[in-house]
Amino acid sequence: MKFGRRAFLQFAAGAVGGTLLSPLPWKLADDSAIWSQNWSWRPSPERGLVSKVPSTCLFCDGGCGIQVHLVNKKNAIYIEGNAANPVNQGGVCPLAASGCQFLYAPYRVSQPLKQTKARGDASGFQPISWEQAIGEVGAALGKMRTSGNSQGLAGISGRPRSSMFHLWRQFFSAYGSPNLFQMPSHADSLELACMLTLGHEATPAFALERASYVLSFGANLLEGWGAPARMQSVFGQWRQERAGIAQPKIVQIEPRLSLTATKADEWIAVKPGTQCALALGIAHVMIKNHLYDDFFMTSQVVGFEDWIDAGGNTRQGFKSLVMQNYAPAQVAEWTGVAAARIEEIAGQFAAQEYAVAIWGEDGGKTPDNIYSDLSFLALNLLKGNMQPGGMVSLVPPVPLEVLPEVQMDQWAYRGLQQPRLDLTQTRQLPLPGNGLYAFLDTINRGGSPYSVEMLMIYEANPVYSLAENRLIKEALGKISSVVTFTSYMDETALQADLILPNHMALERYDDVIGLPGVPYAYYAVSRPVLPPRLQTKHTGDVILALAATIGGTVKGSLPWKNFEAFLQSRVKGLAAAGTGALAGKPGVQPWALQSGQAPKSNYKNPKDLWNKLTSGLCWYGPPVDALQQINTASGKYELACVSLQNRGVNVEDAAVYLPHFAPLTPSGDAQAFPLLMMGYRRLNISSEYLANPPFMTKTLWDFLLKGNDLFVEIHPETAKSLGLKQGDRATLTTPEGEVKVRIRIFAGAHPGTVCVVHGLGHTAYDEYIQDKGININDIIEVQMDPITGMGTVWATRAQLARA
Amino acid sequence: MSDNGHTQSGVLYGMAIDLDKCTGCMACSVACQAENNISFRPDESNKLRSITWMEVYYLDNGAEHPDYRFSYLPRPCMHCNAPHHSPCTFVCPVNATVRDEATGIVGHIYPRCIGCRYCMVACPYHARDFNWWDPAWPEPMEQMLSPKVSTRMRGVVEKCSFCSHRLNAARSKAYLDGLEMSEVTYTPACVEACPSQAIAFGNLLDEHSEVARLAKSERAFRLLSKLNTEPKVYYLSRHPWLHNLANASL
Amino acid sequence: MDKALIPDGVKRSPFPVFAGWLLVLFAVIGWGVYAGIVVLLKALNVTGLNDYFGFGFYITIDLAIIALGAGAFFSGFLFYGMSRFFPALKELYKIINLAVVVGFVCYTGALAVLLLEIGQPLRGWFGYWHANVHSMLTEVIFCISCYAIVLVIEFVPLILENRKLDAIKPLHLFGHSLHEIMAIFALTGTFLSFFHQGSLGGVAGVLFGRPFAYRTGFFIWPWTFFLFILSAVASGPAFTALICRTIEKAGRKQLVDRSVYDLIAKIVAAFLSIYMVLKIADTLYWALDLAPSFGFKLTDFYREPYGIWLLVVELIVCGIIPAIMLLIPQARARNGLLFTAFALTCIGVVINRFVMTVQALAVPVMPFDSWQVYIPTMYEYAPGIAMLAYCALVISLAYRYLPLFPREKELNPH
Repeated sequence: MKFGRRAFLQFAAGAVGGTLLSPLPWKLADDSAIWSQNWSWRPSPERGLVSKVPSTCLFCDGGCGIQVHLVNKKNAIYIEGNAANPVNQGGVCPLAASGCQFLYAPYRVSQPLKQTKARGDASGFQPISWEQAIGEVGAALGKMRTSGNSQGLAGISGRPRSSMFHLWRQFFSAYGSPNLFQMPSHADSLELACMLTLGHEATPAFALERASYVLSFGANLLEGWGAPARMQSVFGQWRQERAGIAQPKIVQIEPRLSLTATKADEWIAVKPGTQCALALGIAHVMIKNHLYDDFFMTSQVVGFEDWIDAGGNTRQGFKSLVMQNYAPAQVAEWTGVAAARIEEIAGQFAAQEYAVAIWGEDGGKTPDNIYSDLSFLALNLLKGNMQPGGMVSLVPPVPLEVLPEVQMDQWAYRGLQQPRLDLTQTRQLPLPGNGLYAFLDTINRGGSPYSVEMLMIYEANPVYSLAENRLIKEALGKISSVVTFTSYMDETALQADLILPNHMALERYDDVIGLPGVPYAYYAVSRPVLPPRLQTKHTGDVILALAATIGGTVKGSLPWKNFEAFLQSRVKGLAAAGTGALAGKPGVQPWALQSGQAPKSNYKNPKDLWNKLTSGLCWYGPPVDALQQINTASGKYELACVSLQNRGVNVEDAAVYLPHFAPLTPSGDAQAFPLLMMGYRRLNISSEYLANPPFMTKTLWDFLLKGNDLFVEIHPETAKSLGLKQGDRATLTTPEGEVKVRIRIFAGAHPGTVCVVHGLGHTAYDEYIQDKGININDIIEVQMDPITGMGTVWATRAQLARA
Repeated sequence: MSDNGHTQSGVLYGMAIDLDKCTGCMACSVACQAENNISFRPDESNKLRSITWMEVYYLDNGAEHPDYRFSYLPRPCMHCNAPHHSPCTFVCPVNATVRDEATGIVGHIYPRCIGCRYCMVACPYHARDFNWWDPAWPEPMEQMLSPKVSTRMRGVVEKCSFCSHRLNAARSKAYLDGLEMSEVTYTPACVEACPSQAIAFGNLLDEHSEVARLAKSERAFRLLSKLNTEPKVYYLSRHPWLHNLANASL
Repeated sequence: MDKALIPDGVKRSPFPVFAGWLLVLFAVIGWGVYAGIVVLLKALNVTGLNDYFGFGFYITIDLAIIALGAGAFFSGFLFYGMSRFFPALKELYKIINLAVVVGFVCYTGALAVLLLEIGQPLRGWFGYWHANVHSMLTEVIFCISCYAIVLVIEFVPLILENRKLDAIKPLHLFGHSLHEIMAIFALTGTFLSFFHQGSLGGVAGVLFGRPFAYRTGFFIWPWTFFLFILSAVASGPAFTALICRTIEKAGRKQLVDRSVYDLIAKIVAAFLSIYMVLKIADTLYWALDLAPSFGFKLTDFYREPYGIWLLVVELIVCGIIPAIMLLIPQARARNGLLFTAFALTCIGVVINRFVMTVQALAVPVMPFDSWQVYIPTMYEYAPGIAMLAYCALVISLAYRYLPLFPREKELNPH
């Protein structure tokens, strides 16, 4: 025992000493440190050569040129802007910069899925083969058609400014259904406004690159208005210091201190929904002080002075109406902007040679009240902006090859004779456009004269992003078959019976035809920068396959081998037109072109043009003056919408023909809902088809989103009167429903309003996206424009109470 | 060594961010995340634990409606040029963060970092973030990791590097092309992404560079220059309240 | 076995009582070890630390315990170094063993917590390999680990004095020869300790980006360097005395002569007074000159819960008041007042270390930053408390089995 302990002690001492003197501890320390530097669970990026592939961004309508960085030509790691592209000039928006996160999104649909359980049950989706999927849809379509219900096919399409939409239209026409709709956008109402005033469908464009004074009636220039990256780039140019040259003055007229407002030179905190009245008040001052071109307004314009209608009656003209109803004192009362201030702004606006009025709240995502669009156009007309070379022109059409005439058989003919389903309850709309809401209303009301058997939804997520999305949810319940063409398992796809996954934007051919609000002609092609990752199929090819399955005239009307061939055929027309050129290197300034002045073409033949377009170069052409292609009966700008006479509008009401301030009243009791809820958008929150990628969610401030809580903005006074404090939890109630939110007291909010950001509150996708905040579209209210049937959104009555 | 503690060198990279042009779109911050393999988690709303090299701050003038205004302030690492040492490089016990006196870039060596966070404590700009978790990407997003920047491991500090890997690439190219090293120019990801061209980057010692010109502008100011940290990131604004805020006390 | 190990001629509590006490301590240590393992496995996200508070509970408790453990080096310095010139200091031999044990547990405990504090403990040794000579932390790493080794060397002969070990001849010789050269180690330790106590102060003082902590100074050392040395020198012996008193109370007997406490009180009084004069001068210079030069007012630095009360408590309640108490002989003579003053001194130092660590970070430097409040989690305070339990454990074992107090037998005759 004694020996043992002693020996043990000696041994232990020896062992300790020996170990310390040996290299063992040092080696172990070193090895463990090396181990900590090479943990196997630390992701190790694949090494390899990095190459850049140019293409065009499809994440919004902005048409930016991009360069996708690839490792070993197969992994996309980064998206940068293409400096040669005149739209974004090398910059990108955060959505494009996040683009690879969509390519590698865990929530992508990897193959055709068929719902085998109740709709909305994600576990019910069973993978099927493409043959089976196309076979089944083709067979169903064929059966509907031969049973005389081709009109029972309806469609909702995203990405209206693309050849894909033209292909959809061709398919629907050949198939025999009038019921193809687009996701709503401001272009819907603008097109109708141009139809009324210029006699053809077009959207206005603004030469902002050379503006010296910008009067923005709530246009969120920096938050997604128009082509977002173009606006960013233009803004950077506006704020560029140039010795001896004054920077343009930006006046933002908006109830809420938006990003654009805080970045503007002046912010005019107008009362919600009264921008149109202010525009007419400014027109009043300009007319009163004779700050307009009298000769032009009388010789080129119908309805500025009093005019005579078809029945021979003298009607009030714009001048008289504005002088009578929009005196600064009256407008001040509506808008909360002092009369003197209105006079001052009008003076500045009239005095500046390159002054322009722009508008479009909600970033151009929803149609405007038609009379607002007409009023803002009128203000620009009065300023002389619509004259040749003026600040306001039209988004020029792109001379792509026209699609071949649709071949009709009896089924197609019969189907197209059926009424389109955007009917209102009482009567045919005076001015039908993209009446998606009227369509949903008809379905939900059971007012359709025939049954809608199948709804196809392409690159859109209306169940989430459509304002008052209850309407589409309800409508889906009444349609027996829903097929979606999407790359992602979004809220709409979850409600589908069949998902036919499209290639993701970086994996496919596609194009961008014209840019919203941009005065020069623009065309760009997106090409697959890498092979499809998953078992997806280009929706264009699926349409062609469906047409082939149906056969006959449907197949004959869509004769292309594949979508790429279709796109090539369209570019042939562009090449033949010869009105534009390719922007091949940085510094090209298409906005400097004069109307009708085509740049020297720099491609050899259609093949060469196609090759250059697919290598990332964009095509551009000159602007189109607003009055260049006038198509009205009078041949003049119809400030008084004379054509409404023939459209069944109540002719007794004088104002109906003229731009005027006609706010649509939100529903609900003003006592029970004392506040007005208004949505706003941010460039770092994707609010439409695409979900917010994790990269962008990371950039959200914690006073906007904390955990899963969304903060809504209210004015300090409003907070005080409601007894709410910073960060309080509250219930936000509108006639549409209620949600739980938290309070952010924000001195930039208008008193009496509650401002809610768009783009959060998803229920689909993955843990990086879902359940963060609330979706404003769940509680927003849409007001239908009585003239156009379009769903307009400006404010919803609301109430906030401490929760 | 010269009197001010810097080795004489012809290159000192710096940045100028024009806040009048900045629209707070966050493209810089997103491009930075993509370029530098910055990890993210399902909930990033705890900003005290969120890794963001290019953080965009929200600043306001404190006024009442309707005079209230706000602005954005993108904050990369300032790559402080204080004599001898930046606040962070001065304190790192293991030389994991050091300033390259030939370029002025403050780098951070992740495999050497012991995670003591002393540099974070030293930095008044909160430009440094700690890896509180093992970084993980949802399947299959690991495929979009850039091979140009290593991913970090838990327990180390990271921060903006002025995209120094791009400088290395540009230098390699210049070497192959037989060009002068001191004349190498490159563009960090944030500068490249900015859609309103609000960020200029280049050699502050080159009088003809845009960044040097902007740094001397009347609109230019620096954050906390009162602390003598000598930040190499300049801000420009025509708004006096922003100038005041940059160096105001609380 | 237990009896055989207890030193000759002293009385210790019955083994079951002692075992029960050990069990409590082991439970606390187990809890802390569990928390520590969780920290190592799950990483530091389980703590209350964040990018704003890079330093928190771990650093605070480390700084505090190292300051309080300074009794070891300073008693050693006075006893081995100064007693030649001031024979009165020879009295310290009666408590020097305890001082060494306290120093040993404080330093080894602090090192263990430090391993949790760093995000990459496996690379902790990089401080030697890739040392940055400018970093105060490098100085800390070097000095603390070297001094911990010195403390081990100082502790070993004590252990060898155990009745059973001493019986082994080679060990007896080894221990005896170590004793002979102990003065060298004590003075080496003194040198190291002065440096690392100072560099711990330097850790905060060199942060020129943090106006709350930053101080100008002498040569490469900021004023906090010297203030930390002084405060450690003042509080270390006070802490040793408090521990001794606690053991006396627990064992219900006298272990050292009252004269030892009186001597320590004089030492503490002297150094605490010097410290307070300089600390107040430093605070005035900081509040009136240095901080304003960076655009800060004193009031900018304090906001609830880190209010100005911290400054009042640290400087007045736990600084000036105990200094005055200890300077008055009548107060020193009364045990109640004496040990209250010692305790206040120790609390003051702990507050100082907390303020220089946590509050220094709570104060926003960028004007648009916000104040933050740091709340440690169980994973921080459990290892901290376990570390204190470990200290108690080692001291208990040492007291039971080693002849720590040379006067114990005489003071407690059977």
